[in-house]
Amino acid sequence: MQSSATEDAKRLSLRNLNKSFGSVHVVKDLSIEIEPGEFLVLLGPSGCGKTTALRMVAGLETVDSGSIELGGEDITNALPKYRDIAMVFQSYALYPHKTVAENMGFPLKVAGVARADVDAAVRETAAQVHMIEYLDRFPRELSGGQRQRVALGRAMIRRPYAFLMDEPLSNLDAKLRGHMRAELKHMQHDLGTTTIYVTHDQIEAMTLAHRVAIMNEGVLQQLGTPREVYDQPATLFVAGFMGSPPMNFVHGSIDNQRFTSTNVNLPVSANGSSVKSVLGFRPEDSEVGVAGSGLFDATVFASEQTGEYTLVTVVLGDDTMTIKMPRDFDAAIHSSVSVSFPTDKGFLFDKVSGNRESIHLVGG
Amino acid sequence: MAYIRKRTLLNRIFEAPAIGKMAPGTALFVYACLLFWTLVVAFPLYWILITSLKTAQDVNGGPFFIPWVDFTPSLHAWKELFVFDYEDTLRSYTNSIVIALLSTLLCISVGSMAAYALARITYKPKFGNILLFVIAMIAGMYTTWKFGVDWKLTIAAAVAVWFLLVRSIGRFFKKSVGNGDILFWMISQRILPPIVTVVPIYMMFQNLKLLDTHIALILTYTVVNLPIVVWLMYDFMNSIPIELEESAQLDGASRLRTFWEIVLPLAKPGLAATTLLVLILAWNEYILAVFLSTSNAQTIPILVSAMNAGERGILWWSMCVVIIIMIIPVVFMAILLQRFISKGVLLGAVKG
Repeated sequence: MQSSATEDAKRLSLRNLNKSFGSVHVVKDLSIEIEPGEFLVLLGPSGCGKTTALRMVAGLETVDSGSIELGGEDITNALPKYRDIAMVFQSYALYPHKTVAENMGFPLKVAGVARADVDAAVRETAAQVHMIEYLDRFPRELSGGQRQRVALGRAMIRRPYAFLMDEPLSNLDAKLRGHMRAELKHMQHDLGTTTIYVTHDQIEAMTLAHRVAIMNEGVLQQLGTPREVYDQPATLFVAGFMGSPPMNFVHGSIDNQRFTSTNVNLPVSANGSSVKSVLGFRPEDSEVGVAGSGLFDATVFASEQTGEYTLVTVVLGDDTMTIKMPRDFDAAIHSSVSVSFPTDKGFLFDKVSGNRESIHLVGG
Repeated sequence: MAYIRKRTLLNRIFEAPAIGKMAPGTALFVYACLLFWTLVVAFPLYWILITSLKTAQDVNGGPFFIPWVDFTPSLHAWKELFVFDYEDTLRSYTNSIVIALLSTLLCISVGSMAAYALARITYKPKFGNILLFVIAMIAGMYTTWKFGVDWKLTIAAAVAVWFLLVRSIGRFFKKSVGNGDILFWMISQRILPPIVTVVPIYMMFQNLKLLDTHIALILTYTVVNLPIVVWLMYDFMNSIPIELEESAQLDGASRLRTFWEIVLPLAKPGLAATTLLVLILAWNEYILAVFLSTSNAQTIPILVSAMNAGERGILWWSMCVVIIIMIIPVVFMAILLQRFISKGVLLGAVKG
């Protein structure tokens, strides 16, 4: 994670950032400490404030309150050009009237670097992003992936302290996206440059990040490694956002140390912080079986074979759940089946606050 | 089995023989219409051309249509304007060129900057402050009129008082106008018929002793065409993605450098087309020129109408000569403009 390139080991700190547009409070009290060389992913649905947070770090939005510090120096109100930060935009923002070489060399040209040095740097960077044969082309003559590489090259060329990336892969088709994801990860590892990456795609977050910051409605929900946010979701929102298909929820209540819902009656270790409660479990942790043999029974709504595995959708009261089964499994629609999962793979959430309860199911 | 009718003769005439083809009957009809309209449009031009070659007798004794057959062409009108009276012709022509070019230059540079500002900066002037300004100006004028104070003094005082009021009570005003209102205000300057504004403009230049000068016409044309430039360029500046400018900012470019190196090259096609349009408008302008110029600053359209004067009646032949030399540059500009528009440089030029 740490590399020798950041010998002074500067830290990027976001402290209690707030931002409103009119009456809409888009970023609420956001605080994150970003370690040197870290790949941090800001993850959340559209409108959650992640892009605004990134733009505040870039200096493209003013900050209502709070501060941004880089290596102990306050850059909250510094002009973008004095922040030593490069950004890759979702649309790439390549200058249409400049060639690939001119696009990449622009940051150095503006900085007053001698022409020969700019040319050398452009060639070196172009080689790194595999664009050396395309230096004289214009952006309109390039494919989406190539434009992406030019944008990366332009960000890399002046060796900034940090990269900011705003959904850089979302304009690519699925196959290319997977390929560029791997390239990005490889490049970030080799360069060791601190990176803040904004996305709504949880696969990108899981695969790229050292740490993931999940945001919803302007509030930071959880900050942790991909493993942590997946295995130990802090809130109902995080649990429902991570995973594909996402976590299943059974809405019910906890009373007398028992979780009850339609057809469900399970013992728990203690009463929760409120009566209304939600039981969550992941599709891949659970399985269906003969009715009466599991934790509760439900009715099969559909059974879909994807080739790699079978997704069984079952209905229980008002809740719909998806269970991942081996690929040769099949279940008849309308039939009654049991649902089971290891009790330590079940999570209990406070329905009112959305937070995870410290209680758990008792083995049975 | 299938419900497809056979092609009748009528079908063959009025139905396309294949996808993407035109039916023979339709094609005939369309081309006939187009040919007819071409004749309607082209005939006046032809008529002007041959009239410029006619003598007075041929014009009055006509109508004669075909040179060398109906009448003998003569270059007498051309000679009169380019040999005997060439000073007058040349002066009007250079006047038109100088006035059109300079007013266009001024108009484009001011207008495109205004358009860029309106596209990128959100203005919120308080309605109350604008009202205060108007009141202060009226008060200044009233003082001048009633007490005979020097107008420069009263205006300076009015501006100072207005400034103090804005700094002190300006923040209590709630209602403000936005960019849309400013844009509409600009185009609204064009809604009034020009003839209505001619009298105050005339009096203004009379007071400034600038009647019949180039500067009067240049300034007037600049102001008159400014709304068009702002509107066209506003749309164009708006179509330039703001990320390009943000990216340039992060790359370390200053605001001015961003404008020169990123925005201006991208706005070039729009600028070129707008320039041509304004140039044509300035070249063709007549009403304002009639009032503001007499001889020194006379432009070509005025020379055209001057051929209808005096006891000799309308000099059709000379008028046609002037019309021809007047429309030649416009035709070239129109062709150029058409190229710009058909190449699509005006629309979506920034994509890619």
